[in-house]
Amino acid sequence: MKKGILDVLKVKFLVSGDSPKNWLFIIFVSFLATVMIGSSHNADKKVHQIAALNEEVKELRSEFVDLRSDVQRLKLESTITKIVKEKGLKPSETPPKKIKVKTSKD
Amino acid sequence: MPITEKRILKRLYVVAGGLFLFAGVVLFKLVSIQMVHGDKYKKLAMKRTERMFTIAPNRGNLYSDDGSLLATSVSRYTVRFDAVTVNDKDFEEHVKPLSEALAKLTGKTSSHFQQLLRKAKVNKNRYTLLARNLDYSDYMAVKDFPLLNMGPYKGGLILEQKTVREHPLGKIAERSVGYERKDENGYYTRVGLEGAFGQYLRGVEGKRLKQKIAKGQWKPIGLDNIVEPKDGYDVYSTIDVNIQDIAHHALLGQLEKYKADHGTVIVMETKTGEIKAMANLGMTKDGKYYERLNYAIGESHEPGSTFKLMSIVAALEDEVIDTSSVVDTEKGYWKIYKHRVKDSKPGGYGKISMAKAFEVSSNTAFAKTIHNGYKEHPSKYVDRLLEMNLGTELGLPIKGEGKPVIRSPGDKGWSGLSLAQMAYGYEVSMTPLQILTFYNAIANDGEMVKPRMIKEVKEWNRTVLRFKKDVINPSICSKETASKVKQLLKNVVEKEHGTGHRLYSPNFSMAGKTGTAQKNYVSKDPDKLKYISTFAGYFPAENPKYSCIVVIHEPDKGVGYYGADVSGPVFKSIAQKVYANNPLIDEVEFLKESKGKWNKSHQDYFAEAQKKYNKVPNVKGMSGMDAISILENLGIKVEVHGNGKVKRQSISQGTDIDKVDKIVLELS
Repeated sequence: MKKGILDVLKVKFLVSGDSPKNWLFIIFVSFLATVMIGSSHNADKKVHQIAALNEEVKELRSEFVDLRSDVQRLKLESTITKIVKEKGLKPSETPPKKIKVKTSKD
Repeated sequence: MPITEKRILKRLYVVAGGLFLFAGVVLFKLVSIQMVHGDKYKKLAMKRTERMFTIAPNRGNLYSDDGSLLATSVSRYTVRFDAVTVNDKDFEEHVKPLSEALAKLTGKTSSHFQQLLRKAKVNKNRYTLLARNLDYSDYMAVKDFPLLNMGPYKGGLILEQKTVREHPLGKIAERSVGYERKDENGYYTRVGLEGAFGQYLRGVEGKRLKQKIAKGQWKPIGLDNIVEPKDGYDVYSTIDVNIQDIAHHALLGQLEKYKADHGTVIVMETKTGEIKAMANLGMTKDGKYYERLNYAIGESHEPGSTFKLMSIVAALEDEVIDTSSVVDTEKGYWKIYKHRVKDSKPGGYGKISMAKAFEVSSNTAFAKTIHNGYKEHPSKYVDRLLEMNLGTELGLPIKGEGKPVIRSPGDKGWSGLSLAQMAYGYEVSMTPLQILTFYNAIANDGEMVKPRMIKEVKEWNRTVLRFKKDVINPSICSKETASKVKQLLKNVVEKEHGTGHRLYSPNFSMAGKTGTAQKNYVSKDPDKLKYISTFAGYFPAENPKYSCIVVIHEPDKGVGYYGADVSGPVFKSIAQKVYANNPLIDEVEFLKESKGKWNKSHQDYFAEAQKKYNKVPNVKGMSGMDAISILENLGIKVEVHGNGKVKRQSISQGTDIDKVDKIVLELS
């Protein structure tokens, strides 16, 4: 027991004969730790990226709806009637006539 | 005392003992925190850094039948100002231009904002409200305002985003589109289409454990208990934006003209029962009209003369009368017990056929016929009405449908008068939509279809659910009866004596029935007496495409109150617009090559026109029209005298085109 503690304190496992094996393991563990820290940061970055994109989506959506609303209101017959009234135009009381020419293949 | 090794060792033991004791205490505390209070602290720590998030799904969009947006979710922004984080120098430098910019945006004065900002600075207010509910473009503008463009730390800009439901059409169809609200107890207030189809639009909430990371963001962690949020589906309603727009404005105009209390218009596609427009406008205290309540669905009232259609269909089916049966309208009133049934025309119409009685809307004729025809078996009349589904609700997805009232003999309120009263639309009660459903059934040759407001439920481009037409009763009356009353409905407008003749237009056809029902007549106080003006029908009269009902409540009696005057014009303008918006299509056969001299002359011209010229061609003998087009296509200005064929050309054939600017042709 006492010897074991002493060995640890003397970091014997880093210098003794079979130390290369331990070193290898330590390096492996540090590598894993690095990867873990790295991916955690990566994940954080992704979260920030997603948040920014979400914000952008919201803004674009809002812009789309604003513009769409404008267009839809402008497209309404009542709006058009109001606008063209100044130019002396009014909606027709009779429908337009469409002449459809049937083309036969022969 | 000599310093011996033993003494040093002793001291060391004391120090070591002390250290061990200290370590022991630390260890004890550690164990106590971990074991005894562990749960409490663990929770506290978790709360700071980890949290279970409820992820709200995106609500689906509500579309009209052509894909125009009726309701959608958008972001709205509230801007606040942190006066403490801004340093004095920046503040003084920018406070004036910032106030001016804000004034321009909100319409308030610049001095108002300057005062507000300075006050916030003095009081160290970190949360001063600048503007609320900004839309995206305003929000972008605010971000660029002086001072605020320096960001949250130096500029003191605080932005709050929330999601609201927006109606791109604004006030049009506001109530029909409706809304859905959830209170803190989880109950929904459901109004209009939004409420009716909430189950599709809503989506499913998600859950996810998240851990706090930098910049106030939360990172999802863990693999257990993940519930992905499911976005709501898009709902395509049957509303046609154009018809809705026409209906809305026609109704609004007429309500304003007659200073009426409220009114409603419904337009329904005859074959399918799709509701193409539903407008409800009511007067507010300031005399303006808004979509306040859904009268079309919710308000059950005595229909008055529009109910004569139901009466006559019942009587025809039971063979109590025929359209040619003659009835005596006496002198314009008919006494039954102590009650007098009056016609709107003083003196009455004399002896007329049932058909004419319908067209002129004679109350006495109907009261008399139905009373006399059914007095032995009043329940036969009532059962006939119930058989035609008049006594049952339509069962609409929109909440709050008014109950129809059709009393049976023996019911509370039934009396000897009831038959006569019901004949022309009193002592019964129906909602505008229920009346329309019946009229639509007649237009549809007896097939009663259920009014429908939803077409499709979609997830992006994939159809989740598609709704088909829903038949309530495949045949409420025989085809003969339907075609007979269709003729009557047509005559109401077409015949000169018809109550709807003022609406007649030679350009397009429509059929319908006027109704002028009294309201608040019980008190017998003429001041309280109000009217309900109705026009229900369909258009075109042959092969009906749409059926429509217009109901206007309490028009100003001084201006007018007859159904044909008040409600009729709304109906007409809708019918007219729908007619004018659908092109008349003429199909013609493609003409085969004809072998005439016209064809020959065209061939010659065509051949000439296809040639490429570097020099002025000879156009003598050509028709003026052809010569001009050929020469002008070469880029030469042409001056023409006379008409007919070309006799002389001012520049002779063979001259280089580059040298020619203008050519004069003489025709004869």
